[in-house]
Amino acid sequence: MAVPTVLVVDDSPTVRKIVQMTLQREHIRVITAGDGLSALTSVADEMPAVILLDIQLPRGMDGYHICTIIRKNLQFRQIPIIMLSGKDGLFDKVRGRLAGSTEYLTKPFDSAELVQTVKKYLVNWQERMPPQYEGMRTRLRRRG
Amino acid sequence: MEQQDRIMDGDLQTLGLQSILKMLALSGKTGTLFVHSGPETLTISLRKGQIVALREEGVPQPDLLMMLCLVNKLDSARAQIVREYAGGNIQVALAMLVERNWMSATEMQRRLEFAVTQSISHAMRWVDGRFAFHRQLVPMENRMQPLDIDSVLLESLRQADEWEEMGGEVETHLTRTTVARWLPEVNNDVRSLGLSQEYIEVLCLSNGELPLQAIALVLMTPEARIARIITRLLELRLIEVVDTALEAEVQQDLSNLIIKCETTLARQRQSSNPEQHLLGLVHVLSECINGLLAHHSIYAKSLRGRGQVPYMEVVRYLERRFSQQLQLLSSQQYPILETTEFTNGKLDCTSILTLDKLVKGEQLEEFYWEAVLGLAAFLRMIFAELLRDEVGNSHTGRNLNFAWKAFLTEIDQEIQHYQVYRAQRNAQYHRGRDIMQPSPMGIMQNWSNVPESEGGPYRSSGSGEPRRRSI
Repeated sequence: MAVPTVLVVDDSPTVRKIVQMTLQREHIRVITAGDGLSALTSVADEMPAVILLDIQLPRGMDGYHICTIIRKNLQFRQIPIIMLSGKDGLFDKVRGRLAGSTEYLTKPFDSAELVQTVKKYLVNWQERMPPQYEGMRTRLRRRG
Repeated sequence: MEQQDRIMDGDLQTLGLQSILKMLALSGKTGTLFVHSGPETLTISLRKGQIVALREEGVPQPDLLMMLCLVNKLDSARAQIVREYAGGNIQVALAMLVERNWMSATEMQRRLEFAVTQSISHAMRWVDGRFAFHRQLVPMENRMQPLDIDSVLLESLRQADEWEEMGGEVETHLTRTTVARWLPEVNNDVRSLGLSQEYIEVLCLSNGELPLQAIALVLMTPEARIARIITRLLELRLIEVVDTALEAEVQQDLSNLIIKCETTLARQRQSSNPEQHLLGLVHVLSECINGLLAHHSIYAKSLRGRGQVPYMEVVRYLERRFSQQLQLLSSQQYPILETTEFTNGKLDCTSILTLDKLVKGEQLEEFYWEAVLGLAAFLRMIFAELLRDEVGNSHTGRNLNFAWKAFLTEIDQEIQHYQVYRAQRNAQYHRGRDIMQPSPMGIMQNWSNVPESEGGPYRSSGSGEPRRRSI
């Protein structure tokens, strides 16, 4: 069975490590990025099944911006994006939704809740992978 | 697999695995036998009544290369090369080792044969389950010479009997998935215990990651024998059995705590002045310390498995465990910690948090600064002690340690941020003393412009160290 990949984008190494550790225990492959640019590179290279995206990111590209870029791209627009943020106001949640996020998780999140949410969006993840990633799909199957 | 390809099927209670294999061998059949029991599945490929390949599903596949490194049969550089090409496939990995002359072909055959025997022996002990034989051969990696079913059955039966005998002799809860690890308290030379080479090898492989089945596979020793050795090592108090469910719970609880503290830390980054910044750090550190104490009151090894422990006993335990370290820190380095105390199993930092009612200005900042350094040091001590006690040097322990270090680095960066500001302020003050007095406004401007710098915290810059004083 192939292993799904989740991309975690957060400027905090602590959050990246904790999320990685939590999801890996559930046999989910995790890749991480600390800023917007590396996040977009990882999306193009790895075609993750789900993206966990922090709003506050360094180097002038915040989570909303990245979300908008991904949603405008035909190849990647199907990827579920779960926003992770310390801001729990209605305004922030609406803004996240307008940028194209699928779900909004407020920090501090519970690891069990995180796993549950990620798993919800991993159902049929292979079907969402565009045809040009067929090679990668085969590689993943072999790795699995 | 197509329905019409199925030659026979049934349940294991009617026809045992031994009889099925014997029958297939006698009739010289070619095809694939599937045996299911619960989540586990065994797939055996047969050609003319001989076993040509076997695959076990539902149990994690051990990393044979890593284990060969652990028993000094392979060096890690070579293992890495092979791993890159073979992925997780044991058959391919062994074939590559033979190709490169890092293992003899005989050893490869012995290892593959042992793995087949081990799996069949395990499946022979299944009571409930189903089997199906298909005439089609499932494509599987096959580097093994065909095995005669009779000899495999003989050895498998012997190993299965050994398990049964062991269960009758000693009270054991060990299974093939049991994971053991060294007890952290063991620090004497194990050679003095007079253990045989076999025992020492099992002890070395009991690293909290490898299940009993994997240890048996790498040492090519029957699982029952490994179980006996582990039982003896447990009696000698050299190892302990890892409770994976408990470790998962510990990991989840600590992860939640670290995330909570990290979020508080991120929120206080928006502080407008150094005083507020330091006060925010005191808040984060005290919240984290109390979170760890609350966590330890549930998961401490000596409080586990005793049912409902009286609350006062838990409080006494926590104070006994950590108050001495706090006293040591306060008497030797950070006298401000004398104002804190353990109350109901928590560290009460109210005196520090309400210092602004007693002192103001630079002196208040000095006190806060010292509190931050003291609490950060205490936090490190608590976490190290807690982790050692709860999960030791296990995979979970190392993972948590890694996440914890990342969190401490974030705290250190905040401390460093203030250190740089402090050094700048002092330099400005010393320069300006001869020319003119520095304006408080200038200091405030510096705070928001402090650059993010590299390097570890607590660097011994004269300005960064707290001045000793009596409270």
